[in-house]
Amino acid sequence: MKPYRINLMVCAGTGCVANHSFEIKKALEDEVKKRGLENEVQVVATGCNGFCAEGPLMVVQPEGIFYHQVTIKDIPHLVEEHFLKGRPVQKLMYVPPDAKAPIPKMSDISFFNRQMLIALRNRGLIDPEKIDEAIGRGAYSALAKVLTAMTPPEVVSLIKASGLRGRGGGGFPTGIKWETCRKAHGEPKYIICNADEGDPGAFMDRSIIEGDPHSVLEGMLIGAYAIGSHHGYIYIRQEYPLARERLTIAVQQAREYGLLGDNIFGTGFQFDIKVARGAGAFVCGESTALMASIEGRVGEPRAKYIHTVEHGLWNLPTCLNNVETWATVPEIILKGAEWFTSIGTGDVSKNPWGGSKGTKVFSLTGKVKNTGLVEVPMGITLREIIYDIGGGIPKGKQFKSVQTGGPSGGFLPASLLDLQVDYEQLTEAGSMMGSGGMVVMDEDNCMVDMAKYFLAFTQDESCGKCTPCREGTMRMLETLERITQGKGREEDIQLLEDLSQFVMDASLCALGGSAPNPVLTSLRYFREEYITHIRDKKCPAHVCRELNVYTIDPGLCVTKGHGCGVCRRQCPENAITGEKNVAHVVSQELCKKCGVCYDVCKFDAVKVA
Amino acid sequence: MVKVTIDGLEIEVEEETTILKAARQLGITIPALCYNELIEPYAVCRLCVVELQRGQRTRLVTACNYPLRESVVIRTNSERVQRLRRMNIELLMARAPGAKIIQDLAAEMGIERTRFPLEDSDEKCILCGLCVQACSDVVQAYALGFSERGSKRVIGPPYDTTPETCILCGACAYFCPTGHIKMTDTDGRILHSELTLGPNAAITLPFRQAIPNVPRVNPDYCIHMKTGGCELCVKVCQKEAINFTELAQDSFEEFEVGAVIMATGFQDFDPTPMKLYGYGVLPNVLTSDEFERMNNAASPTGGRIVMENGEEPRSIAILHCIGSRDEHYHKYCSRVCCMYELNFAHLVNVKTSAEVYQLYIDMRSFGKGYEEFYQRILDEGVNVIRGKGAEVVPAYQKRRGEGGLLVCCEDTLIGKYREIPVDMVVLCTALEARADAAEIGRKFNISTGADGWFIEAHPKLAPVSTTTEGIFLAGVCQGAKDIPDSVAQGAAAAAQVMKMFCQGELLMDGAYAEIVEDICSGCRICNGLCPYNAITYDIEKKVSAVNPAMCKACGTCVAACPSGAITGRHFTDEQIYAQIEGILA
Ligand SMILES: Cc1cc2nc3c(=O)[nH]c(=O)nc-3n(C[C@H](O)[C@H](O)[C@H](O)COP(=O)(O)OP(=O)(O)OC[C@H]3O[C@@H](n4cnc5c(N)ncnc54)[C@H](O)[C@@H]3O)c2cc1C
Ligand SMILES: Cc1cc2nc3c(=O)[nH]c(=O)nc-3n(C[C@H](O)[C@H](O)[C@H](O)COP(=O)(O)O)c2cc1C
Ligand code: SF4
Ligand code: FES
Repeated sequence: MKPYRINLMVCAGTGCVANHSFEIKKALEDEVKKRGLENEVQVVATGCNGFCAEGPLMVVQPEGIFYHQVTIKDIPHLVEEHFLKGRPVQKLMYVPPDAKAPIPKMSDISFFNRQMLIALRNRGLIDPEKIDEAIGRGAYSALAKVLTAMTPPEVVSLIKASGLRGRGGGGFPTGIKWETCRKAHGEPKYIICNADEGDPGAFMDRSIIEGDPHSVLEGMLIGAYAIGSHHGYIYIRQEYPLARERLTIAVQQAREYGLLGDNIFGTGFQFDIKVARGAGAFVCGESTALMASIEGRVGEPRAKYIHTVEHGLWNLPTCLNNVETWATVPEIILKGAEWFTSIGTGDVSKNPWGGSKGTKVFSLTGKVKNTGLVEVPMGITLREIIYDIGGGIPKGKQFKSVQTGGPSGGFLPASLLDLQVDYEQLTEAGSMMGSGGMVVMDEDNCMVDMAKYFLAFTQDESCGKCTPCREGTMRMLETLERITQGKGREEDIQLLEDLSQFVMDASLCALGGSAPNPVLTSLRYFREEYITHIRDKKCPAHVCRELNVYTIDPGLCVTKGHGCGVCRRQCPENAITGEKNVAHVVSQELCKKCGVCYDVCKFDAVKVA
Repeated sequence: MVKVTIDGLEIEVEEETTILKAARQLGITIPALCYNELIEPYAVCRLCVVELQRGQRTRLVTACNYPLRESVVIRTNSERVQRLRRMNIELLMARAPGAKIIQDLAAEMGIERTRFPLEDSDEKCILCGLCVQACSDVVQAYALGFSERGSKRVIGPPYDTTPETCILCGACAYFCPTGHIKMTDTDGRILHSELTLGPNAAITLPFRQAIPNVPRVNPDYCIHMKTGGCELCVKVCQKEAINFTELAQDSFEEFEVGAVIMATGFQDFDPTPMKLYGYGVLPNVLTSDEFERMNNAASPTGGRIVMENGEEPRSIAILHCIGSRDEHYHKYCSRVCCMYELNFAHLVNVKTSAEVYQLYIDMRSFGKGYEEFYQRILDEGVNVIRGKGAEVVPAYQKRRGEGGLLVCCEDTLIGKYREIPVDMVVLCTALEARADAAEIGRKFNISTGADGWFIEAHPKLAPVSTTTEGIFLAGVCQGAKDIPDSVAQGAAAAAQVMKMFCQGELLMDGAYAEIVEDICSGCRICNGLCPYNAITYDIEKKVSAVNPAMCKACGTCVAACPSGAITGRHFTDEQIYAQIEGILA
């Protein structure tokens, strides 16, 4: 590889691409050429940088200068000032919300410096479509170590000792899974990487694949060696075309380099990977449904008390792990179990379920300033993630709740902000680690509405095979809808609790088994909101519009707005009367509670109660 | 073996036995809707959820498919289990208000009503998947499946069309626990031509009095024969008596016997070519055979006399001599029809209130007690019309606005043309020789007459013998007759056989053909000509020889021998000439 004086790492993750980062890359290249810098400055498209809220992003290496919200217009100035004259451009640097001065270096920004990158170790540092760059950053050295210096049982013991647990949701100890699969009878054995990632708003797995696909391939290779498998599948959803493309390129390049195929590293070990496409059903992320889908059957979970490690794909021993789990494996091989266990909570030396080790990637979204992808050590508190990394709640609003673990995770209240993020503590609190979704809610969110929102998702995604999930979630949603429409009954809370318990206890798979979490936790921590909705027919956050009463403050309307009449003109029901310089009035009889008047009034004269 | 405790009772079962099976052995019932022991558990209704305790940990598992592998404690009726069950039933009550099994379970649990709004009061499907499993895993017809997902999930044929792979086996309806799936003709009709002696099951007794009286697999209805799937009978039969590899191919067995009684009977005359009667075209025109089957208590109508629309007919015409006593078909009288037709009339009178018309040429009640029966029928009020039924037409053709059928005939007693409106017509078809009679006859060296029946050795002196030694006749194959006559003839034939066997030796006629070896050129012309297969060729000697025991002294070979090597004993040329001379002298 040719050395360059400066490398411009332009983020080509989903968020930044949506903000035209490919056009910016092109403009940069043109400008660099125009200035005759093409032999000194290289422009690289990388995977997701993580700080999506501030995109499009760019990092100038090796100095580590971080530019955010770059536009095409900025480019001539930027190239001239920074790359020609060596004066970094202040205007494009990140300024933390409460500060005045910009922070030039990425490593000094709190969003980044509180993170700890293991699965995302190469994020923003390599071109994911060039295997050489990955190898330059150490990819496949763990595989070399494993193939040349370790026996398969040694690999399994090392992973067991590291306490690594599945990052796909269940948190099952990876080493134990490998060991059982290794011992299972039946040939051939299969390795599967679960890249279905069906949780709405989650993009951890996608980012890993888009940013550093070789970390996943290497993890799978190591797993294959440990288990004795020669066939691997990566199950990736149809909706991830970029990730699929990069994965295909990576597999192709690895084959060309002899890292996949027969006689890998000349050791005689053979392993190859097929990329299988999923049609995007959430339930297909469930391991047995996923396998059915690969086999060409309907993607529905199976009800059997047999583990897939023994009877999985085509009824043969199968080891299925999540993208992030696979990506973490090579680092553990290189740095050792002791290093890994030094990060995180609990003690896994005796009980593999005794603690949570290493790091976890979260996609931080919702009412938080710095939305994006973060990798943090286990045991970090929710407060640290939301306030230190996430920068707190925007617009000075009050934090209300955080949901962890995707659409079937629970809602945790402010009183639990100091909860340590680990498998057991989250479950204890009624939520879960899940695959790493993290949605922050503020005072403007209605918890009944949020529960309804997430339940609507799981209800829609239920495969319908078993009675509890199919009928139960439908009835729960029906009840929640009733409550948010002001038709709730006193006994509905009990009904919701009974239904939740039934769906959790009796469902066939974990979709139904976890779907009621949002309802149960909102009932546990925000019960009074339900009561207000049912008894007083009021939504405290004014989200459930059917419960709102819209009125116009006559004083404000006249003094501030001079009876501007925008609400009157916009009201689809013609429920507002008034004239210029005369206070407007909402007819409660005609009002259909659409809330348009509230949204359009520039003078805050429309009030909701 | 593993020892487990279920509801406080201990039981030892084989490893991998499911909780449900173990509980059933103990007499403990666990409600299980989507379970059928003939089908791999699908475990989706989740009604069978029970508590399983291992050490300190308790969890919930489905009893229908949880395999017992170690010593555990199971509670099938704990408070928690009951709570889940009740909620499950409440949800199913709302989903499928029409399902009786759900209502019964609810009543058992004391649930009076569900807290959820009812979906559709007729709905019965609970999506247990048994029909889909049966169709795909058992029958392997793959005609049913699920479509849509979640609460929109439905069961049906692919794309909601009539599935081409459905073999009408009815397995789905059989396994459906709620009665949601039923077998009906798409138009709700009753197809008379498809009624058989028993239900269309693949495994039945061929008929009630069958010998041996054991069930047989009927390949026409057997699912395994059609799709290669099913084999449920093999799973169920504890004696392991079902063997498809043997069933799949017919086997031929050879017996050595000393005598054969031909009792191959008759076939029914097919009236389709007689277009005037509308058989096969008009609804409710039946043959006597179809009418007889419908009347059988084991028929799909349960012995009820009904029309295609399932209703009872108001009037029935019974037409005699269809194909019998008819220049164009069979000249002979079928002999049994008059009497069984009177019996039909009697049955109609007993079972329905329909008016009966008998249309006859001559009423032949010739046997013992037969004339008395005829009188009784007349007393029952049956309309007997002397005149052959000439035509059957739909009534609207001749009489505007009327449904049903019209039977046209000439009433010869009053000398008038009549049109009789009826709902149903029974055509009493002739008994005729089986289509294969001539071929069978050739095989056994017996001959058939002009009307196709086998010919007896002598009509008065040897009515059950044939010209072939050891071959006897009994029943209708020899000529139309009723059961008493058939039985009598059968008994006579059997006696003939017994006589043969008792003698221990065969008494030979002195007359048979003989071949003079010195003259025989070994041309073998006689071998093929002998109608009794009595001549064989001796390869070593290169001459033909007659087996005297088989020779009937017909003389064919004698006449045909080009070398004049064959003579008939007692019929030598010398003897014949001597006789001629004697006569002339
Ligand atoms: C509609 C109807 C109603 C009747 N009602 C009466 C009544 O009420 N009373 C009465 O006395 N009589 C009645 N009869 C007459 C009665 O059916 C016959 O007299 C009787 O069936 C004759 O018996 P069978 O054994 O000679 O012949 P079948 O009953 O015809 O039996 C012959 C059997 O031989 C079998 N067979 C044929 N070919 C072969 C072969 N090559 N190898 C092996 N098996 C062969 C056939 O499958 C059949 O099972 C009625 C007939 C009809 C058509
Ligand atoms: C409804 C449902 C959806 C799931 N979706 C995913 C998914 O999208 N990605 C994933 O890795 N695991 C998903 N899982 C978890 C998998 O079943 C499985 O536990 C996991 O992939 C195992 O890998 P791990 O041990 O590395 O976590 C899902 C589970 C359920 C019940
Ligand atoms: S719990 Fe839901 S998703 Fe899982 S099998 Fe049952 S219906 Fe399907
Ligand atoms: S009988 Fe066990 S789940 Fe239906």
